Amino acid sequence: MKITRLFQRTMFGIFFLFLLIGVSTSVVSIYSVDLHLTSEYEENSRDIAKTIADASVDIILNRDLSSLQSLIDQFVEIQGISYIYIVNDSDEYLAHTFVPGIPEEILESERRVGETVTRNLAGMGDFVEVSSYILAGHVGSVHIGMDVSHVALAIQQAIGNQIYLIAIIFFVGIFASIWFVNFAAKPINSLLDYAVTLAKQEAEEEPESSSKRILTRNDEVGHLARLFQYFSTVTDPDKLEDNPKAAENE
Amino acid sequence: MAKLTRRQLTQSVLASAAIAPWRAFADAPTGQASTVPSGTLTDSGITDSEIVLGVSTAFKGPSRGLGIELYRGAVSYFSHVNDQGGVHGRRIVLKLRNDGYQPVPAVENSVKLIVDDKVFALFGYVGTPTVTRVLPVLKKFQDRDFLLFFPFTGAQPQRQPPYDEFAFNLRASYKQETAGLVDNFIAIGRERIAVFYQADAYGRSGWAGVRAALKEYDKKLVGEATYRRGEQYTAVMRAQVERLKKVNPDAVICIGAYAACAAFARDAVDGGLEIPIANLSFVGSENLLKKLTDEFGTESERYSRWLVNSQVVPSYEDLTMASISEYADLMQRYDPSPPPEFEEHDYVPFAKSFTSLEGFLNAKLMTEILKRAGPSPSRALLEDAVFSIQNHDLGIGEMVHFSPERRQGLDQVYYTIVEDNRFVGLTDWKAKFAV
Repeated sequence: MKITRLFQRTMFGIFFLFLLIGVSTSVVSIYSVDLHLTSEYEENSRDIAKTIADASVDIILNRDLSSLQSLIDQFVEIQGISYIYIVNDSDEYLAHTFVPGIPEEILESERRVGETVTRNLAGMGDFVEVSSYILAGHVGSVHIGMDVSHVALAIQQAIGNQIYLIAIIFFVGIFASIWFVNFAAKPINSLLDYAVTLAKQEAEEEPESSSKRILTRNDEVGHLARLFQYFSTVTDPDKLEDNPKAAENE
Repeated sequence: MAKLTRRQLTQSVLASAAIAPWRAFADAPTGQASTVPSGTLTDSGITDSEIVLGVSTAFKGPSRGLGIELYRGAVSYFSHVNDQGGVHGRRIVLKLRNDGYQPVPAVENSVKLIVDDKVFALFGYVGTPTVTRVLPVLKKFQDRDFLLFFPFTGAQPQRQPPYDEFAFNLRASYKQETAGLVDNFIAIGRERIAVFYQADAYGRSGWAGVRAALKEYDKKLVGEATYRRGEQYTAVMRAQVERLKKVNPDAVICIGAYAACAAFARDAVDGGLEIPIANLSFVGSENLLKKLTDEFGTESERYSRWLVNSQVVPSYEDLTMASISEYADLMQRYDPSPPPEFEEHDYVPFAKSFTSLEGFLNAKLMTEILKRAGPSPSRALLEDAVFSIQNHDLGIGEMVHFSPERRQGLDQVYYTIVEDNRFVGLTDWKAKFAV
């Protein structure tokens, strides 16, 4: 599809406008989705940690640790939660979900209950860890790790959908623009053709039927065509300067 | 086609006749309820001709060997009882469902067995992660007096409040098994004990048992490594072996199922961890050994020489015991097949195994309880029938008795090692495993 040179800059303008819209909305979306999702995951995980902490008191004090393990196994099935571990007040691990074992980074780290901790675990990835005291810390604490890549994946999906939509709008917009530009450029091309025909033909020659149509147009192009016709019939240049308006009205 | 001998033909006919009720149930599609073949099943789970027990276990998946063998042992005894006219004229029928040793299907199956199938009681479940999750279901339906009999797990949840009132156990607990292993290891100077365990309720139960037993000696676990439930023998356990090698243990106690534990034993020995590797009864000893011998043949001794497995039933080779002799006889006579609807043709049943012996003893005691429940048994009075069992001789040299305070029949733990490609009793720990 040939784009009229006159409108090529406009096309570039449209392209950059779409690009600007796409990039700016994506950046804003990434920021807000990241903020929103991370905060939501943290909140949910804190709630889960608190739920486990509340349910753990009786199990730790009165029952077998297999019940505690069974409890955290149910929660670790929730999407986004990667690991759970419970330590007692002596910092002994009572239950956890790690395979093939508790990572060194966690074994060696200082316990910071109530804070949000970011962890990079070798061979596992990046995690955000939240925690909750069990019986105000007198029994121990529950720690829940959320996979950061899960949040990133959710963001990627959200942004991916958005970019996909913008891309569709962009391409539809581009094709629509080309069509509209060509539609708008058609009379100008006809005018150009007419001007070229006028320049080639003798003054007395009758114009071709296609050229006649442009002379009947009731718009700026028609006015210009009639002016060109007038100019072509005027042999004295001085007359042109004297009364061009009269020529247009002929 | 090979010609059948008269003996094989007789066995086949006997088995077909005896197992007919199970087949009738098992013909239904997987996990689907099926109709009771005769009589009208009421909410009581009993008809004029049948007593229906509900079973949810692992007939498929990496731990199927446990569910299938436990079932086969139980069927061999129930078939015998049915051939003798049943209990008070009623045949014992098992309504089977497969849970694949996964908690969620186990819960769903249990609800179906209780609500849809209206069984009399639940029987012969396999696994801690499954049973632990099923216990609240029993609590939910406590107004209907459902009881779970003799699950194949030594975990604590069904042995202590708040769920102990819904289950009866026959086997010794993991606490007893792990304590026995720790006691023996400590006695021969192997004090640095590590654990390799399944990352779930079963593994944690054994882990807690080892930890508690070590505490008695003022010691702690020197290390631990875990694996995910459902691992196959093809799994690579080098990461676990490396973790344990770092802490230089004197012995490793495994709390897992046979496929993963066989894989661990293989990778441990290959990785230079040549120390005693103990397994609990749940592991399925014969299945574990078969994994190694299938791969290594006669070379498997290189791996199996380090194995020491605790058992909760005596050796099936000890025919001096009345019930062991009866077990050997009935297993040979009926040679039960895995349930047809769940059968995977690559599984080859064992002629005898510790797991099927346990299933056999479970069935024998269940039959005794049903007899004591009388000609008009009801769920509400079933517990009284269990409590009437006092110093009952089950035929394995250990008396069984139950009471409201004691809901576990047996306490004895046995220790076995591999010799000539089979498990035999371990009598001298020092000679075999001393440092």
